[in-house]
Amino acid sequence: MDRLIHIRDLKLRYQQNTVFDGLNWIIREGEHWLLSGPSGSGKTSLAKVLGGLIGSHGALDIRFDPLSPLPQQVLYVASWYQFKNLEGAANFYYQQRYTSLQAKDVISVRGELNNFGAEHSLDPQAAGVLATELGFSKLMNATLLELSSGEHKKLQLLKALWLKPQYLVIDQPYTGLDRESREKLNRLFNQLAASGTQLIIISNHAGLPSCINKFAEIRDRHLIETSGIGEIQADHVPVELSLPEFLQLPPAYTSDEIVRMANVNISYGDKQVLKNINWKIAAGEKWLLQGHNGSGKSTLLSLINGDHPQSYANDIHLFGRRRGSGESIWDIKQRIGLISPELHWYFDTSTTVFSSVASGFFDSIGLYKQPGYKQSRQVDALLVFLGLAAERNAPLGSLPLGKQRLALLGRTIIKNPELLILDEPCQGLDDQQTTQFNRLVDALAENGLTMIYVGHFESALPSCIQKKLILEQGEVKLAEDLFERIL
Amino acid sequence: MANYFNTLPLREKLNQLGVCDFMDSAEFSDGVEALKGKKLVIVGCGAQGLNQGLNLRDSGLDISYALRKEAIEGKRDSWKNATENNFRVGTYEELIPTADLVINLTPDKQHTSVVNAVMPLMKEGSTLLYSHGFNIVEEGMQVRKDITVIMVAPKCPGSEVRAEYVRGFGVPTLIAVHPENDPEGKGLEQAKAYCVGTGGHRAGVLRSSFVAEVKSDLMGEQTILCGLLQTGSILSFDKMIEKGIEPGYASKLVQYGVEVITEALKQGGITAMMDRLSNVAKIKAFELSEELKGIMRPLFQKHQDDIMSGEFSRTMMEDWANGDQKLLTWRAATGETAFEKTPAGDVRIGEQEYFDNALLMVAFIRAGVELAFETMVEAGIKPESAYYESLHETPLIANTIARKKLFEMNRVISDTAEYGCYLFDHACKPLLADFMTKIDTDVIGKNYNEGKDGAVDNRELISVNDNIRSHQVELIGAELRKAMTAMKAIKTT
Repeated sequence: MDRLIHIRDLKLRYQQNTVFDGLNWIIREGEHWLLSGPSGSGKTSLAKVLGGLIGSHGALDIRFDPLSPLPQQVLYVASWYQFKNLEGAANFYYQQRYTSLQAKDVISVRGELNNFGAEHSLDPQAAGVLATELGFSKLMNATLLELSSGEHKKLQLLKALWLKPQYLVIDQPYTGLDRESREKLNRLFNQLAASGTQLIIISNHAGLPSCINKFAEIRDRHLIETSGIGEIQADHVPVELSLPEFLQLPPAYTSDEIVRMANVNISYGDKQVLKNINWKIAAGEKWLLQGHNGSGKSTLLSLINGDHPQSYANDIHLFGRRRGSGESIWDIKQRIGLISPELHWYFDTSTTVFSSVASGFFDSIGLYKQPGYKQSRQVDALLVFLGLAAERNAPLGSLPLGKQRLALLGRTIIKNPELLILDEPCQGLDDQQTTQFNRLVDALAENGLTMIYVGHFESALPSCIQKKLILEQGEVKLAEDLFERIL
Repeated sequence: MANYFNTLPLREKLNQLGVCDFMDSAEFSDGVEALKGKKLVIVGCGAQGLNQGLNLRDSGLDISYALRKEAIEGKRDSWKNATENNFRVGTYEELIPTADLVINLTPDKQHTSVVNAVMPLMKEGSTLLYSHGFNIVEEGMQVRKDITVIMVAPKCPGSEVRAEYVRGFGVPTLIAVHPENDPEGKGLEQAKAYCVGTGGHRAGVLRSSFVAEVKSDLMGEQTILCGLLQTGSILSFDKMIEKGIEPGYASKLVQYGVEVITEALKQGGITAMMDRLSNVAKIKAFELSEELKGIMRPLFQKHQDDIMSGEFSRTMMEDWANGDQKLLTWRAATGETAFEKTPAGDVRIGEQEYFDNALLMVAFIRAGVELAFETMVEAGIKPESAYYESLHETPLIANTIARKKLFEMNRVISDTAEYGCYLFDHACKPLLADFMTKIDTDVIGKNYNEGKDGAVDNRELISVNDNIRSHQVELIGAELRKAMTAMKAIKTT
């Protein structure tokens, strides 16, 4: 009997909303699908139904090939990961990876892979080969807490590629990966497909593996087969942009110089993660920061955001003041709006959308102070602007990832900061949201704020960017002025 | 050295026991000003030392660590913790003479030797900070008269002190000034500033005294927090095994049950915990806990009496002098209990099941919290202090049991708490022998509601509810929780 997945008349409700209303889908042997659609359309829900993680009404018929050596399994790989320490607690905060602590209570990459391999009776050698291919070998002894966001993604992919299930459903595999890693990953996907795994990839990005031969999009609670990526998405109308008034005011700079780093070095034990970094950012400049996964981008940004304990031993000036000269980290954070994948992972998503955005006034994770009347009005205006007014009182975690990210972006800009640090801000956003967000950034940029933008996907950058810094293995490889180069 | 408390006249004893003021956030409006530009030197770099130091430095204060020469030369963990986070590290001789504030964050047992070593090096008019008053109150340490002596005690493990700070919050904290050592009257201002530096001012600060802190802290940790959690866990587990409940299930029910049950306690006191039970089960748990209170009250009183008279610390210090012989023997014995040795089974237990199938644990916790609170208040400790050292800390300790059972709990708490915990446990188990013979799996191991139609007598239920809700620990608790978890209220709007 041939392999087949047959979904008939699938109905799914989430809270008060109907997600699917009689969805049909047939996945035949040899087919490799791309599933796309706007944020909140139900892509992840459908993937979880396939992976058996959530129940639903309707017929779900999955046939495996009993003769195949591949495990008879539908493996769902989430776009999100979670890990716990050795004692089972998951009470982490995003700054934790920068603090050096002798008591290691988080499992290492090697330990994690050993456990996974033992659980599924996998060949340890195969993991070694994959680790080399994904450029992961040197991280074997690192603890999970020390990994960057892109490195976490790679570990997650490594496990899926190692298991080689008969069906692999993979949600946003390219999130946070640099270009080289994306290309490598596509080669590995093609190999996997050739050895018999059927792929179902959820993604809105171009640059897919060549094995993909079927395309579908979720629209109006149904699945529509298309002939290629982007066919349906093309008709999105750009939303009219009218920035709330309080965000049109220029920031009140107290110094012409926002950041000055001289020969900055950061290391943990013998491992050096930043080497001789020199970087100056003047008020009003818009920088792009790029580098391969694990090149030290997040660490560099943590120095600016007051999150890194080793800032105190380096020559760093922020907003005209030497770091470690009696300022508090709250003085620094007050002038900065920051978003990063790590901030999102460790954010308290049980809090409401309103509270999440309002917490940006106080730079706290969770809201511990009641915002004033004016502040509440500003939050509400921003929620309307971001299209999140209807979700104002919903817990952040009940929203699809793209909308959660949008709410956190709101948190980042709510106080109209002097410096915006946008570390892969559009991760998890669909094309329309990304376009809208980048236009928002461009509009904000006009009021003269300073910005550092980290992004892997060169096609989706705001146009206001003027300068670029590239990191490689912890060193500045290139710092250039984009305008000069064009001229 | 003589026990400080015992040297005081009764009037002054009551006076110091009664220092208790839940501080208004406006009292912290000067921030860290009182310590700005001053040299703060922390002695010891364990979990509290490192995490408090990270917070204080991030609040703009000047922090370095004084470690013993052997720790520096041997590159011990404390040295690595401090240097790898780029703190200045030096010997006592190098750093203490420069310090305006010396912060002693070493274990209780080392206090006398540490303070004796640093005191001659401390400069005129400097300040010595403790996070626990045992050395001053029980050992009667006499500090040079020009030195100010203060206490700032975050009521959480060091890792939480850091985690809450970087989230923009803090942990509830207790502060005090030693009346014998406040020559310039600056003690309170410095304690408040230190508290702001660690983030404690955002989560509720209780002004206490060295005496009130020690006498209530010892009482809480010996009885409800560690002692009774240990006794209740072991007795509940052993009973389930005796009655044929699957060991993996029994182990998991107890290990994680204490955490789930006390989470309700944390959020809404005894009332919320009891309300998680059905009406019939609540009445049963109430009856059992009343019986437990009757049986255990004399033991709670004995512990409080021994703490007040100094008898407890005298015998424990004898054990210190004896190389911790008793402590180490008791610790080993705890590691050998059947509960400790039976791993939690791979069974799913729903959140509500932890209440329905562990009614006895709920009864133990209510009885322990109320008894500890009542006994402390009877002894002259103010209700606010008694609340912190009983109900407030119970969920924090329960979390350690959920992680790795009793062995982990006893590893995380101080040696002083651990010693007192074993004392209580060893006296409590025989005391409850008769009570336990009547206990069956309907109250521990199986769902109490099974086979019952849930009918109760209205008047009986009303009276039980009244009794639970009008207890003083509930009234004071509701007030303090409101201040401490302002965030929770905001979150749900």
